[in-house]
Amino acid sequence: MVATRAGTGHPRTRKRALKKRTLKKALRAYWRQYLAISPFYVLFAVFMLGPVLFSLFLAFHKWDGLGPMEFVGLQNFRFMVKDSLFWQSLTNTFAIWFLSTIPMLLLALVLAAMLNSSVRFGGFYRVAYFIPNVTSIVAIAIFFGSVFANQVGLVNVVLQWLHVGTVGWLTDSFAIKLVISALITWQWTGYNAIIYLAGMQAISSELYEAARIDGAGPVKCFLKITLPLLRPVILFTVIMSAIGGMQTFTEPQVLFGTVDATNPDTGGPGHAGLTTVLYLYREAFNFNQLGYGAAIAWALFLVILLFTVINWRLIAGSGRRDR
Amino acid sequence: MSQAVSDQGVPMTGAAHRANRAKRVNQRARSLKRAKRIALHVLLVFGTLVSVFPFYWTAVMATNTTEDMYRNPPALVPGPHLVRNVQRVFDNVDFMGSLLNTIIVACATTFLVLLIDSLAAFTFAKYEFPGNRMLFRFLLLTLMLPAQLSLIPRFVLMVELGWAGSLSSLIFPGVANAFGIFLLRQYIQNSVPDDLLQAARLDGCGFLRQYWHVALPAIRPGLAFLGIYTFITAWNDYAWPLVALVDPEKVTLQVALARLNTAHHTDYSMVMAGTLLAVLPLVVVFVLFARQFIRDVMKGALRG
Amino acid sequence: MELTRRRLIQAGLLTGAGLAANACGGGPSGKGSDSLAGKKMAIWVWDGCISMNVLKDGVAHFSQTKLTPSVIGGTFKQKLLTTMTSRAFLPSITGVKGEDMPFFKGTKADQFVDLNTLGADKLSSQYVSWKLKQATTKDGKLLGLPIDIGPCALFYRQDIFAKAGLPTEPKDVSAAMSTWDGYFDAGVKLKKAVPDSYLIDDGSAPFSYTVKQGTKLFIDENDRFVADQPHIRTAWDRAIKAMELGIVAPYAEPGSTDSNAAYNNGTAASSVGAAWHYLDLVQAAPKTKGKWRVAAMPGGPANFGGSFLSIPRDGGDHALAFEIITWLLSPQNEARTWVDNGNFPAAPASYSLPELTGPVPFFGGQKTIEIFAPAADKIPVAYEAPADAAVSAPFLSELKDVWAKKKDPEKAWNDAVSTAKQVAQREGVS
Repeated sequence: MVATRAGTGHPRTRKRALKKRTLKKALRAYWRQYLAISPFYVLFAVFMLGPVLFSLFLAFHKWDGLGPMEFVGLQNFRFMVKDSLFWQSLTNTFAIWFLSTIPMLLLALVLAAMLNSSVRFGGFYRVAYFIPNVTSIVAIAIFFGSVFANQVGLVNVVLQWLHVGTVGWLTDSFAIKLVISALITWQWTGYNAIIYLAGMQAISSELYEAARIDGAGPVKCFLKITLPLLRPVILFTVIMSAIGGMQTFTEPQVLFGTVDATNPDTGGPGHAGLTTVLYLYREAFNFNQLGYGAAIAWALFLVILLFTVINWRLIAGSGRRDR
Repeated sequence: MSQAVSDQGVPMTGAAHRANRAKRVNQRARSLKRAKRIALHVLLVFGTLVSVFPFYWTAVMATNTTEDMYRNPPALVPGPHLVRNVQRVFDNVDFMGSLLNTIIVACATTFLVLLIDSLAAFTFAKYEFPGNRMLFRFLLLTLMLPAQLSLIPRFVLMVELGWAGSLSSLIFPGVANAFGIFLLRQYIQNSVPDDLLQAARLDGCGFLRQYWHVALPAIRPGLAFLGIYTFITAWNDYAWPLVALVDPEKVTLQVALARLNTAHHTDYSMVMAGTLLAVLPLVVVFVLFARQFIRDVMKGALRG
Repeated sequence: MELTRRRLIQAGLLTGAGLAANACGGGPSGKGSDSLAGKKMAIWVWDGCISMNVLKDGVAHFSQTKLTPSVIGGTFKQKLLTTMTSRAFLPSITGVKGEDMPFFKGTKADQFVDLNTLGADKLSSQYVSWKLKQATTKDGKLLGLPIDIGPCALFYRQDIFAKAGLPTEPKDVSAAMSTWDGYFDAGVKLKKAVPDSYLIDDGSAPFSYTVKQGTKLFIDENDRFVADQPHIRTAWDRAIKAMELGIVAPYAEPGSTDSNAAYNNGTAASSVGAAWHYLDLVQAAPKTKGKWRVAAMPGGPANFGGSFLSIPRDGGDHALAFEIITWLLSPQNEARTWVDNGNFPAAPASYSLPELTGPVPFFGGQKTIEIFAPAADKIPVAYEAPADAAVSAPFLSELKDVWAKKKDPEKAWNDAVSTAKQVAQREGVS
């Protein structure tokens, strides 16, 4: 993301001269380029941007999806500020993100470092670690739901054998977050490890040799060479996991997909697994408050934006100085 | 006996003594190295077990009866009831039909993403044109839009287009994802030297031919990575198909699976058999191509 | 890699071509004519909505059309609503859950065919009148014919009751546990005698069913918020009392693995529910056949659910659809649905049929009609507002908090009321 362009090729030199030209001239000179990027923007405008703008419009209305829309001004947002469930869903989302991302990225770094030490069967391990990412969340949430079931789940059965005492995995509000985080960690650690490994293998081995001659051990090498050079890749993974983590939905939806028609998609007892997107879904689709759902979506978008910028500053900010 | 004695108790000369000690140090170092390697493998194998255990356990549950799972202790090894459970999956959902739908959606999405994204990524990476940076930043911004934000309006749009319930309603929104452009742009910056493009330009290659003959061959590994990634994402998509596929006779695998889970929640071994069936094709396909895929990722993707 | 990518792209090209063909042939007009021609008629149900055997016979009986039943998973109301929005692929006939009917009746009546225009008015005497009224709009449109009603009862494990020294025969159980307090006392006894078993499998049941035993729910017929009034508070206190007595099973979401396991392994010694709760038990714990019995509902009769078959306005061939509905819901067929699913018929003519008066094997040969018929007779009819489900949700959530997170009951009550008020306000209830 913060990569500099290799070489100083010619297309760049035109830049300054270009600024003075008019848009029309630019279009004439670069129509091929605009044409080349246009399919994406056209599709994006039709299938993403249009709907997104419409949802902004929707956020100021009350609509159940079928009847007439009613303009309500800021009422949805006023309701949101007072809505304790909305705030709880935000807390839940951050808690789950934190509980999953930290172990996930640390484990991924360790895994990548181990794989990077030219170990035998490296190819096999890579495939094995990537497989969870290929698995559908629906399937794996069904699986986690049965393994962590309170009375008959495998985990509690094993804990019982060990005489440790069981944990209410699907009832305790912290345990619920742990289960969802474990699911995310399981699914994404290998993926991130592969990305880190790619980054590590791109680091010149001469750097390590030089360090070794200077008497640096493997840990020091890792801290002084690998980590700093890996910073852009780490930034990438943190940003991606933040964007993904803020939108956690399928895991709690499938895990706590109750058949209770009057109170569906609660995110488990005490709404402990109710993420913001699940709450949005619940309000919009189960209670037919599409306007309010849209308002929540927009609030969430702003939160994600803010969160991404903070992450970026934290990691990329110090990274620039190194370069 | 002040003289140094070898292991065999034979007196040694000074030189032999030194050599022996060196050998011993060497041996120790080697055995330490071996111990380290074994420890490394133990850790890696443990990780592998954690990675693949759910598949094993799903298989266990899919081959036993629901009552076997409620027993204490539950069944721990695969049982003989797979055929019965699979038969019940087929009775309850149109598994083959939904499999075919999923394959169509995943293939078409992948093809379109590769084409559209590589072209755009090439342009962004190698051409400076007015609005380049602004348009690209905008692209990044779009990654942050929660997909659920547009769930309902997009559905309304599909209704207007007459696409609600058709597979097209899944394919095209899936193509409008900036991730691929983002990824490939970085890839092209790293693996397509400007000199090469310059040379091609001098040879009279136009924009499209530079893209096709210079850029594309150089970023094959990146395309493969993006391709498989897109394929997997399309295959596993859940929330949108759940809403968009209004015809219950025409669904994708994930929707069929979720339906199995909610409509027949009491028949757990059957649900697990369905889960196994839904996961297996993709895992097999992935394992077949994975080594190459991951090696290609290693070669240069995301070099930062 | 060469191979992979080429194959991938080839496959993509092929499907791309297929897609183009699909896009051309799949316009809205194509879909419409498909269902209007009366060749293929879809009927949407959920698992347990109506007997699958009756449906199968219906498919064979109406051979002039291709009747295709679909079992819809997930939230049924939501699926129906999104499909209505799409104006395509609407089924010719759909099930509507009793608890969803107030919503559809209140705001979406125009999406359904008024069955009275198709001749339902002549059949109205065939069904329980209060149930028909539930599907009748203020201006007299009838949106559905009832499949069943939901008279509630106490389902209990005779073997476990015997072990605990509790009464075992339905008659005695009904007498001893005719009130909630009597029921709770039995729970305390059970806990002492059989510590692994619990009398109440769902902590919110005493709350939900006490509310259903009254004639006022969360919103009254004048669209006023009444969820903070004594009738709700009484129900709340009752649920809290059960929790404090320690007679509620470890928390499990209804329908979860844990709750199903509880029916199997005897953790759940009893369960209150409507007649259709039968199917939950049969499906979750087929091996416990013969061990269950049915007794009268503690605290008096109540109705929970009971659903309808309706005809969506945009679903095609209304006349034939109506003919199919009346066939599926004839007293004889409703009796068969009772046998297969336990749904208690909404057509009183079926009550005297041998299917209903006969013994039920799952309940050890008990003639459960003796429990359900009197219960059905005395059902208190309450007004159910479209927003009732949304307003009741905070109470159920807070009760879960009290149970699973040991939240202070008084604080939970206050939170529930304030959240419910907020929701009600948004829904336009004062």
